[in-house]
Amino acid sequence: MKFLDSHVHMVSRTTDDYQRMAAAGTVAIIEPSFWQGQPRTEAGSFKDYFNSLIGFERFRASQFGIKHYCTIGLNPKEANNEKLADAVMELLPLYVCKEGVVGVGEIGFDDQTRLEEKYLRLQARIAVEADLPIQIHTPHRDKKAGTSRTMDVLLDAGCDPAKVIIDHNNEETVKEVLDRGFWAAFTIYPHTKLGNLRMIEIVREYGAERIIIDSAADWGISDALAVPKTAALMKEAGIDMRAIEQVSYSNPLIAYGQSGQMRETDWADAAGIDPAALFAGNTLLRGGQDVHEAMTKYMVIE
Amino acid sequence: MESPYELLLGALEQTASSDAVRWLRGECTRLSRHFEENPFFFAFSGVSRHFDRNAEVTFPKGTAEVLQRQIPGLCLKHWDEFRTARTVLIGLLLTLDRPDRLRTLERLTSSADIRELIAIFGALPLLPNPEDLVELARDGLRTNILSVFDAIALRNPFPERHFTEEGWNQLVLKALFLGRPLHRVVGLDARANPALAEAVDYLAHERWSAGRKIPPEAWRCCTGYVTDQIAHDLERVAASPDRGDREAAALLAVGDTTGRLAPIREALPAECADVAMGSLTWDSLGALLATPV
Repeated sequence: MKFLDSHVHMVSRTTDDYQRMAAAGTVAIIEPSFWQGQPRTEAGSFKDYFNSLIGFERFRASQFGIKHYCTIGLNPKEANNEKLADAVMELLPLYVCKEGVVGVGEIGFDDQTRLEEKYLRLQARIAVEADLPIQIHTPHRDKKAGTSRTMDVLLDAGCDPAKVIIDHNNEETVKEVLDRGFWAAFTIYPHTKLGNLRMIEIVREYGAERIIIDSAADWGISDALAVPKTAALMKEAGIDMRAIEQVSYSNPLIAYGQSGQMRETDWADAAGIDPAALFAGNTLLRGGQDVHEAMTKYMVIE
Repeated sequence: MESPYELLLGALEQTASSDAVRWLRGECTRLSRHFEENPFFFAFSGVSRHFDRNAEVTFPKGTAEVLQRQIPGLCLKHWDEFRTARTVLIGLLLTLDRPDRLRTLERLTSSADIRELIAIFGALPLLPNPEDLVELARDGLRTNILSVFDAIALRNPFPERHFTEEGWNQLVLKALFLGRPLHRVVGLDARANPALAEAVDYLAHERWSAGRKIPPEAWRCCTGYVTDQIAHDLERVAASPDRGDREAAALLAVGDTTGRLAPIREALPAECADVAMGSLTWDSLGALLATPV
């Protein structure tokens, strides 16, 4: 079975993760621009970060036969530094129209400040003008209100909900997101976001239409195999295979494929891992011996 | 005489969609009338929104001949539509009468994605004032993204013509280190030098100490510069169970005029006969060893 993890921060993951993801069937990933655990102080740091998303990280993923895409944006945490934010806004047009950039993201609210709203609006306009999907980060605190308010701002800015993926949903937010016509993504992330047993119940209740699961694996305790693990757990729980395939593969492909920058043929044509793309002397591809164990013994993410 | 960019645009016209070519012509006209940096950057990236990256551009015979006459060593294999269209835009930029056009090229490079970098570095041999571009090329080689490294190091006549010996030797050694097919480095024989020959021999020692192999093609860099030490090491290569190693030793031995490699000629009569007949060359050995690209 093939998987598409539409939210994963590979810059902070090791090659072991790439190896395990490839072995577990992850064929494509989307890396949203986000902060890096601490605030940046220079616009140049953003530029180099964006460069790594369209450059070295893309290459790193290709060594494991994984197609790497990204979304480009100014995240809400760093939107609160207005001077920096303005400088980053000047960089964005250079990057949003690059090959393999499947959207503007992840943008949205953190503390729901005035400045966060200002840059959410400005970036929503960039997405509308570039005709790109938007990947939305919903806040950890005051999530329900923050999610509603995000959707209000986006509709007000002229966005088509069919081109917006609202991420980090939970049981409290999903209904309104779906009712208003947006895509609802769920991040399977231990402790702070959503566990995958809960995800099964959500799919039982809401079905698979416009629902996406992702890992948002980053520098914190998180799981780069969250998507395949959740799919496996869903199968065990008797969820229909078609629904599993939708939430873990074809829905994100449809949603972000609206950018025109991501097609199934991008990886269907690929002859798997290209041995010429490997560094001489390195044994990056040792196979996924530990993946079977990870997938079977540690399937539940809580 | 048509400029290389007009020739490329003409070739693109034969294969690409007419909408895409019309868009590119429009951008070129607009930018040459009134050049601004951001619209230029958008056009350069925007190529991915109009052309087909998988479609290879085939150059009409006449076009290929003119291009290769204008730019000796230029390789016209593997030009996809993205690369061709972007080369047209870079050509436009660098033929404009604009004092800071080089700064614009540097800024373009500093926010380029992988395929854009390949187009920029692949375009180097076509551009005017090559002496201004040497640092850009040398800096580009510091990448670890193989396809970007290859765009400068392989099938590209720019380094041979414009790199200093130091820059050239760094290129060849890194190509070896990354396991790139050396026979695609343009000018490998013409730019051979004693410092490189010694550095390659040293790399061989390092590899052998680590219990690793050195690619047979590496020895090509020693052609004409076989010291006593290298001759001694080549005897080990000649005794290798690996056919590629033995063939490399034979290739050097047959061309040797110092007498240092006479024992290898005696030890490898069959391989040396192949060399003498022309059925074994460095290029045929390299092609056999390399992954087809």
